Amino acid sequence: MTAQLDKKLLLQAYLTMRRIRDFEERVHVEFATGEIPGFVHLYAGEEASATGVILHLKKEDYVASTHRGHGHCIAKGMELRTMMAEIYGKKPGICGGKGGSMHVADLDLGMMGANGIVGGGGPLICGAALAAKIKKTNNVAVCFFGDGGSNQGTILESLNLASVWQLPAIFVAENNGYAEATSSRWSVATGNIADRGAAFGMPGVIVDGHDFFAVYEAAGEAVKRARSGGGPSLIEVKVNRYFGHFEGDQQTYRGPDEVKKLRETKDCLLLFRQKVTNQGELTDKELDQIDEQVKAEVADAVDFAKGAPKPEASDLLTDVYVAYA
Amino acid sequence: MQSRPELLVGIVTNPESGRDIRRLLFGPSVFPTSEKVSMVIRVLAALGVFGVQGVLMMPDYGGIVAGVMRAARAHDNASLEPWPEVFVIDQSIERSANDTRRAVRSMLNVGVRLIVVLGGDGTHRIVAAECGDVPLVTLSTGTNNAFPDFREATTAGIAAALCASGKLDVSKVCRRNKRLKIRLDDREEIALVDIAICLTRHVGSKALWGPENVAEMFVTFSECDSIGLSSIPGLLRPTGRDDGEGTVVRFDREDPMYWLSAPIAPGIIKRMPIHSVEPMPPGKKFAVRAKCGTIALDGEREIEFTAKDHPLVWLDREGPLTVDVHKTLKLAANQGLLVSDKPDPDPQQTLIS
Repeated sequence: MTAQLDKKLLLQAYLTMRRIRDFEERVHVEFATGEIPGFVHLYAGEEASATGVILHLKKEDYVASTHRGHGHCIAKGMELRTMMAEIYGKKPGICGGKGGSMHVADLDLGMMGANGIVGGGGPLICGAALAAKIKKTNNVAVCFFGDGGSNQGTILESLNLASVWQLPAIFVAENNGYAEATSSRWSVATGNIADRGAAFGMPGVIVDGHDFFAVYEAAGEAVKRARSGGGPSLIEVKVNRYFGHFEGDQQTYRGPDEVKKLRETKDCLLLFRQKVTNQGELTDKELDQIDEQVKAEVADAVDFAKGAPKPEASDLLTDVYVAYA
Repeated sequence: MQSRPELLVGIVTNPESGRDIRRLLFGPSVFPTSEKVSMVIRVLAALGVFGVQGVLMMPDYGGIVAGVMRAARAHDNASLEPWPEVFVIDQSIERSANDTRRAVRSMLNVGVRLIVVLGGDGTHRIVAAECGDVPLVTLSTGTNNAFPDFREATTAGIAAALCASGKLDVSKVCRRNKRLKIRLDDREEIALVDIAICLTRHVGSKALWGPENVAEMFVTFSECDSIGLSSIPGLLRPTGRDDGEGTVVRFDREDPMYWLSAPIAPGIIKRMPIHSVEPMPPGKKFAVRAKCGTIALDGEREIEFTAKDHPLVWLDREGPLTVDVHKTLKLAANQGLLVSDKPDPDPQQTLIS
């Protein structure tokens, strides 16, 4: 428990959360124009989760994400330009424009990718964590998954495997209340996903995903535990998403003012600003400067993506197989 | 809500208790939802046998009420011994302490005779701030708890039923607890066990688990065999629940009077730099010495304060009434309240074929 986080880290946290928010808000607008192919699932509202966890990681640590993966990718350090181009399906995209929103990945940054398979990240990070353990790199691997993913066999098997092998793994359940349109109140048998940790012999804790500081503290202890050989942990982040399951989702399963109220009372960026300015750690001016910086970055990323070429027919046959060195 | 019977007991269960960050560090016990459901069922069984007709429950998203309702339906089909009818308060769920506050107010509005609380020190604090003179039966489901009883729910349920039904004199088995109050500007809060002044700037994950940043502690009572931060005053100046005073402990790593080895969490014994220890008589106001930081109420960081807030802490004896389960059952035994001339009814007579 640190008395005070240093200013550089606080600025980085706000910058990351603001980047994710503005990126997602802009994708929401641009998707409606029909220019973006495929599906997108937006992360807005959940920024404190990705940021609070990933700020503890090194470049060499691995992250496996979900279909709602933009936030994790940005927090792991991916460039907005190449991410946006990927979402637009353009050639300079981080995966050559052939993956799109649900397959954004950059292994050089330890980002194993967004994932179209619900619960698909669990086995991936067990592999990454096992490699870290065998090679004694002191790296850790983090699996983000949702409340829907928490009910998938892959996640339950991965929790078991990680515990049996005592892997340096952290499982982060981002419980935003809905698996597509199904309430987690109905679909999660134990009520709280964190309760499942005990069944696999690992600690399970709940944190408020609207509060960066809450997530940051819990993730810090879980990462420390993993790096020191203490084994895996399960963190359930109670959070909310601002947009539908996918863009175009009419969200008839939500209350009429549900999102409006969340934005007004539980917004992670708003709460962060209130807390750090009240404590005199950062000023409104410093935060406003970041807002302006990010606005320009996102505009630049969209311009870059729109102006970039599409993959060519010949690109269909590249990146199909992996060559192992 | 349909018409309710007259003899009602409220049940508050905190769906979130027992899952805080301390599990990552110390591995304290876990209270899953299934165990909370089971505890409520055991309370219901006892309430039903001893004549309570209805219970009013706080709704939750954690699956506790759902589990209890499923069990109640199954029980209706299979047993002769009646359980009280279960009613659920019609209120929206915010997934915050406010759910508990509103639920307790609703319980008081409909005239519950007693409230059974399942939770940690924090849950009991929220209930205590709202319950007035309605007695509480306290059951621990949290971490490092000092205030609620860590006991079998069935016996707690029997004591609750005996008190709620008026079969014995409640004034003989209830304790009026001490409490702490803290004021910052126009905000006032209470604590039932301790208020800790912490040098961390943000409430973060709430649970107070790092003793190195605690600057001051105020406690209502502190047993010498307690676990958690309250073990510190407990090992310096043991104070019982019924003693007249509390205790103030101040810490200073630069200027310690001595270092005290204390079990500040399950499995963790730390040397704490004790700067001063003094009694805390009722009514005497203590100014918080730290200029900024967070205020932990009963183990959970709740308030972020700065130099302009000037928090004041004091002790009074106007805390909640709690049922002493041991004393209740002893009195019931001495008065023969549990004795009957009839055997148990035969459940087979009512099984649905």
